[in-house]
Amino acid sequence: MGLLEYALIGGVLYGLFFGLVGIGLNLIFGVMRMINLAHGDLIMLGAFGAFWVYHLLGVSPMFGIPLEVIGFTIIGIPLYYLVVPRLLATRDPEMLSFILFFGLSQVIEASAVLGFGNNQRSVPGSTLGGGSVVIAGQSFPFAWVVAAGVSVVAILALYAYLYHSRFGYATRAIMANRDEAQTAGINVHRISAAAFVAGFCLAGLAGVFAPYMLGAIDPNMGVDLTTVSFAIVVIGSLGQPLGTVIGGLVYGIATMLMQTYLPSWSNLLPYVLLIAIVLVKPSGLLGRRVRYA
Amino acid sequence: MFARLKSRLTAAGLALVACAMALPVVAAQAPQQIKVGTLYASSGPFATSSQSQYEGLKFWVHRVNKNGGVYVKAFDKKIPVKLVSYDDQSSTDTATTLYNQLITQDNVNVLVADFGSVLTSVAVPLAQEHHKLLFDVTGTGAKFFTKNNPYIVLTSLPTSGVWPKSLAQFLNHKGINHVAVLYDSNDFDQSQAETLKHYLDKAGNKPVYYHAVQSNTSSYTVLLHRIAADHPHAVIEFGYPNNDIAFLQALQSSGQHFNMVFTIFPGQLLDLLRSNVGPQGLAHTYTYPTPPLLRYTKKVNFGLNIDQFEKQFQSSTGKSVDFLTVAGYNAGLMIQKALGTAPKFSQISMRHALAHASGKLFTLDGRFKIRSDGAQVGETLPVGQLQPQKGQKNNKMVIVYPPRVATGKAICPAPK
Amino acid sequence: MRRGLWVESALVLVVVGLGFALSPFLYGNESLLFSMMAYVALAQGLNIAYGFTGYLPFGYVGFFGSGAYGTALAIMFLHAPPIAAVVGGGLLAVIFGIVLAPLLRLSGAYFAIANLAASQALYFVVANPHLSNITQGPYGIKLTSVFAPTESYATLWVIVLLATAVAIYLRVSRFGLALRAINQDAQSAEVAGVNVVRGRLVAWLLSALVAGLAGGAYGWHISVFYPHSVFTLRISIFAIVFVLFGGAGTVIGPIIGAVLLYGLYDVIGISTPEYFQLIYGLLIIALVLFLPNGLLSLVRKRVRYVL
Repeated sequence: MGLLEYALIGGVLYGLFFGLVGIGLNLIFGVMRMINLAHGDLIMLGAFGAFWVYHLLGVSPMFGIPLEVIGFTIIGIPLYYLVVPRLLATRDPEMLSFILFFGLSQVIEASAVLGFGNNQRSVPGSTLGGGSVVIAGQSFPFAWVVAAGVSVVAILALYAYLYHSRFGYATRAIMANRDEAQTAGINVHRISAAAFVAGFCLAGLAGVFAPYMLGAIDPNMGVDLTTVSFAIVVIGSLGQPLGTVIGGLVYGIATMLMQTYLPSWSNLLPYVLLIAIVLVKPSGLLGRRVRYA
Repeated sequence: MFARLKSRLTAAGLALVACAMALPVVAAQAPQQIKVGTLYASSGPFATSSQSQYEGLKFWVHRVNKNGGVYVKAFDKKIPVKLVSYDDQSSTDTATTLYNQLITQDNVNVLVADFGSVLTSVAVPLAQEHHKLLFDVTGTGAKFFTKNNPYIVLTSLPTSGVWPKSLAQFLNHKGINHVAVLYDSNDFDQSQAETLKHYLDKAGNKPVYYHAVQSNTSSYTVLLHRIAADHPHAVIEFGYPNNDIAFLQALQSSGQHFNMVFTIFPGQLLDLLRSNVGPQGLAHTYTYPTPPLLRYTKKVNFGLNIDQFEKQFQSSTGKSVDFLTVAGYNAGLMIQKALGTAPKFSQISMRHALAHASGKLFTLDGRFKIRSDGAQVGETLPVGQLQPQKGQKNNKMVIVYPPRVATGKAICPAPK
Repeated sequence: MRRGLWVESALVLVVVGLGFALSPFLYGNESLLFSMMAYVALAQGLNIAYGFTGYLPFGYVGFFGSGAYGTALAIMFLHAPPIAAVVGGGLLAVIFGIVLAPLLRLSGAYFAIANLAASQALYFVVANPHLSNITQGPYGIKLTSVFAPTESYATLWVIVLLATAVAIYLRVSRFGLALRAINQDAQSAEVAGVNVVRGRLVAWLLSALVAGLAGGAYGWHISVFYPHSVFTLRISIFAIVFVLFGGAGTVIGPIIGAVLLYGLYDVIGISTPEYFQLIYGLLIIALVLFLPNGLLSLVRKRVRYVL
């Protein structure tokens, strides 16, 4: 049946992109146990970066990726050292990070509105190769395939980093238990800062593809993205990068299926799924440690 | 003798006192300024439209003050206008507080709503409670207008129960059946969809697809595929600007083709849609053309006509005109009419003045005609199509229905 | 309870009560005062959940929205008198709280986000066009027939005092002490004989009730609202920020936090709107970096006990 296949394949592509959207949030939470409420706004900045690269330089936004990595690193490192050590010294860093990053998201949104204005901006699909691609007899926008491809590459790269490199090993140690990692001699702050910046860069990368996957971009798009990112990350388990991919796929496929059969309820399903999954498996689909309160 | 002097002095004294008492009373009646209060959204989903509307109103204030002020019939003189405004950031909670601020703290003489049904809604009960006439600019929600509330007038757009009639008639008239309707689940778009469906059903032209999606839907690819499965001859999408943009972009990149595609905002914010969707994506699509795409010049009997308005607005602000600017300016014209013909300086008197002007006033926004409950039933919008022009990058807006205002014929079905 | 505490408690109630009862006569913008009271109630309700039991409900607005819609439905379909409808709204929020009670098994961020998902889900259900016949869906609620600004203000005033009284009770009573024990170390508390599950549930439902009542009064007062207005994330976030600013776990903290920060929000909003979001955001960042335990942490350095 054409409709079902279309929804499934479209859902996979869309879901892979959302895996990339969620992974930055997951990394920051896993390593520092901090709730980055500004995550969606970082994606928004990434999207605007892509737009300005296209608009001012006339080249494909893909060239904007290295620029953005540099940009986010320059912002991310001082931000980390300014904010995180102080937060970790408080009584409840997890929840206080919530308000701090909310404040940051307001600052980013306000600056974006002042700098870019409120209007929607777009990047034409032709800059990523235009036209459509036929997969299993169904035609999809080429931009979707590129976005999904880049997402897979980025997530595999992160996976390789975490599981096949020394720094990655140290990162996972910090994710498991920060204090013990410190006593084992790991430079916790340096590795955390790297993870923090990586989280920002991943958000920016997702942002580059946002104009293609989500249509037009505007400074207010951050909030919805943050909410959805949370849902994805929790479905797939906090702190587990592979889990975010699964969370993204669940979200993507569920949304596309709902849009096909029950469009007006399509936004409801991911949240219902989240609650159902979390009640059955309290730490998400891939969660190993079951933390009963 | 002294007694008579005394009584004359007393009389003179009393007369003086009477005059002294009367003077402040007369002076107190004519205010130094006419305070016009409104809200605008500098951020959030309504910012683009709200700021345009605000610019239009500001332009009116600027012009009126250049001529020495607005003429107030109750005092038979021109009084300068002061515009008091606050930023509600597209939030209804903030808007409520700020409307109240305008009414109770700033004591505005004229209250003008922000853009759209959502931001106007919270002003309706407040205006009624404090007996202030609400100049509702673009809040077309049918439920705002009730028989026992005189404190509201819809100035610049037809109410939602009337507006989509031209589209329905176009579809029925052209014999376009198998209509698919996709609408955003908010007050404005649902009203459009339900009204359209009502008129289509009445003509025996039931839609083959009729579904709502959430307001923040930006991914229309799968939806379009699903709609195509029903083989519709016409696809009508009712949403806000961001939905229209996402829908048209998805349509373009999906390679789907339909005989007729309709969205609302190319008719109101054409520049924004052009820069985001591009001429190819807009080609052969239909919309409701609004001023300045709809040009009223000769029939205008109050205020600037569209040509004059465009020129003066451009030279005064350096920006170009879109529909919301026209709407805001039109609201200003209604304020001017109300103050200029109301015999008493009171909110109810202004309302009666506007009821009296209904049907006789023709501005750059069309014929002003209101019902007894304050809803606008004039200023109706036609159906137009964006048609590609040889040798030109941009499409041309051609009004295709109703016949008496049409400027061309519809190209239907749209070529592949 | 020692005598000093009775006096302090009475003082808090009197100050809050008189403050909000008299201010409409001094400052005419009653919508602003009403919103401020609503945030005081919400902050206090959130404090009951977070300050005492350590659960941070990101989706706290779900209870507020339930209250607003419960009240609206009672007025529209049961033709209940408004005050009874507000109570009904509160009860609907409690029912929603009972439905969500299994989430209490989760901890920290999982609970917070699952709660957020629940409130978003409720929002989408309420706003859905298919349910228009009941909830009016996207068209929003119009209760103009029972519009009564003074009565609804008075109702919310009572609710604020009730919420404060509950918070005082939790602050000084043995039950409150038990809750704090659960917050710090649930296993030890269980071993010490505290009924952990029941304690949490009671606090959770009290918190839901406060938000529901506040939502009901808000719905009645404003009388015209869309689903988005009463389910927006902003309400949750504001409540959380106000509580954390004032000092969680105390009674005065949320009150001060709500009054000061919401007042500041309005002052900036009225005077310099363009930079408003920027200023507010920077302020919040500064607050967390330099005053992470809330305003009252400054006072606690000098005074041994703060109510």
